[in-house]
Amino acid sequence: MFAIKYKNMQMKKIVVFIMLLACAFSSCEKDDICDANTPTTPRLIIEFYDFDNPSVLKNVSNLRVIGQGMTEPLLFGGAPTTSGSKIALPLRTVGTTTTFSLTLNSGNSNPALIDEDIIRFDYSTQELFVSRACGYKSNFTLDPTTPFTHTDPIAANQRWIRFISVEKNSITNENETHLKIFF
Amino acid sequence: MKHTLKSFFSSLLFFSIAITTAQETTTKGEIPKAPKANTAAPAVSIQKPLSTAIINDTVKKATVVPPKTDRYGVRVGLDLYKITRGLYDRDYKGLELVGDYRLTKKYFLAAELGNENKTTDDDRVNFTTKGSYLKVGFDYNGYENWLDMENIISIGLRYGFSTFNQQLNSYRIYNANPYFQETPTIASGRKFEGLSASWIEVVAGIKAKVFDNVFMGFSLRLNRLVTNKEPDNFSNLYIPGFNRTYDGNFGVGFNYTVTYFVPIFKKKVAPKVVIKK
Repeated sequence: MFAIKYKNMQMKKIVVFIMLLACAFSSCEKDDICDANTPTTPRLIIEFYDFDNPSVLKNVSNLRVIGQGMTEPLLFGGAPTTSGSKIALPLRTVGTTTTFSLTLNSGNSNPALIDEDIIRFDYSTQELFVSRACGYKSNFTLDPTTPFTHTDPIAANQRWIRFISVEKNSITNENETHLKIFF
Repeated sequence: MKHTLKSFFSSLLFFSIAITTAQETTTKGEIPKAPKANTAAPAVSIQKPLSTAIINDTVKKATVVPPKTDRYGVRVGLDLYKITRGLYDRDYKGLELVGDYRLTKKYFLAAELGNENKTTDDDRVNFTTKGSYLKVGFDYNGYENWLDMENIISIGLRYGFSTFNQQLNSYRIYNANPYFQETPTIASGRKFEGLSASWIEVVAGIKAKVFDNVFMGFSLRLNRLVTNKEPDNFSNLYIPGFNRTYDGNFGVGFNYTVTYFVPIFKKKVAPKVVIKK
C-alpha cells in the first residue's frame, strides 16, 4: 500500500511540474508593450530665465510653439499655449534639423505684444536599441559649431529672445536642461 | 498563433494526465513478510525466482511473475513540430534531431541537435536568426511500467549551447511624443555575427511506445540563460534552441518527437514473487 501511495505522489509531482511549465508559457507576455517609464527618444528641455537677472527663472506668457511644416501647435499638457518656465520640444528623428516657431503673448488682444521668433536646431542622431517592445530610440547631439539658428520672421530687431545658451550638447535624457533662453 | 499554441499546450497537458491515470495500478498485491516462526527454508524460497515446487507450509498459493527484461539501447528521432512548422510558416525553417541512450534502469543520457532559421516580425523590430544548437543532459524516468511496457514519464536536465547570427531587417524609432507624426519603418539589413549563448534547461517529458520500437513523445522545457554574447546595439531576442528570450533570462520550449528505438542488449530484472495466503 505504501508503494502505491509513493508512486501516486511521484505522478502528481510530475503532473504539477508540467502544469507549472504550461503556466509559465501562457503568461509573461507583458514585455510586448513599451513601458511609459522606459527612457526612449528624449525631448529638448528648455528653461526660460530673466535676461536682467540671469539666475532667476522667468515664466513666459502664453507661449505658443509650432513646428515647421505643422499646422497644429505643440500641446503643453493638452493646452496650445504655456505660461511656465520650462518646455520640452520633440525633435525630428528623421533628418538632422528641426525648426520651431515660438510666439510670445499668443492670442493677445494687443497685436503689438505678439512676438514670433524662429529657432532652427541642427544636430546629429544616434539610434540605440532599447528593447523588443520599444524598439530603438534616438539620441541627439547638437551641432558643436552651430547648434541653433535664431531668426525673426518680421524684423531682426524685434526678437523677444535676447540670448540662448546651450547647456548640454548631447540630448540623452529629459532629466537635465539642454538649453537656456533668456528674455 | 499565441492562442493556438496555448490550446495546443492545454491539450498536451490533458493527455499527459490521461496517460498517467490510465495506467494507474490500484490492485497491486503486497509482499508479505516472511514468517518468523520457520527460520530455515521458507525465507530462501521466496528469494529463488522460479522455484515454484518448493512451497512453504504456511503459504497456500504463490503467484510468480515471469522474469522481466529491460531493453537497453539507443533511441533516435526528430522533432515533428519544427518540420511541420517549416511547411506552413514561411518565416521558419528548423530541424531537430533527438536521441537518448539508456544508462541504467531509470536514467537516460539525452541530447538534441538542431538548426533554425527564423524571421521574427515584432511590432518594432524585424530580424532573422540563423544558427545551430546542441543540448546534452539526462532524463530520469519516474514511471514504473507494467510487464514489458516501455513508456517514459521523465524529468531531466540539459545544458544547451547555440552559435548563431542575427540580421536586423528593419526597425522603428520609439518616440513617446510623436508631435511630428514620424513613425517610419527603417530598413537596416545590419548583420551581427559570431553570437553565442548557453543555458540550462529543465525538461518534463513523456514518451509512449506506439508500436514496435517506435515512440511518440513530447516535452516541455523551461530554460534559463547562463551566458549570452549580445550584439552591439541590438539584443538576442531569439536564440536557436532557447527560443524567444524574456526579461529575466527565462525561456520556454517544447518538442513533439517521433523516435525509433534500436535495442542493443537486454537486462533481466529480478522478478517479484507475489504470494497470497
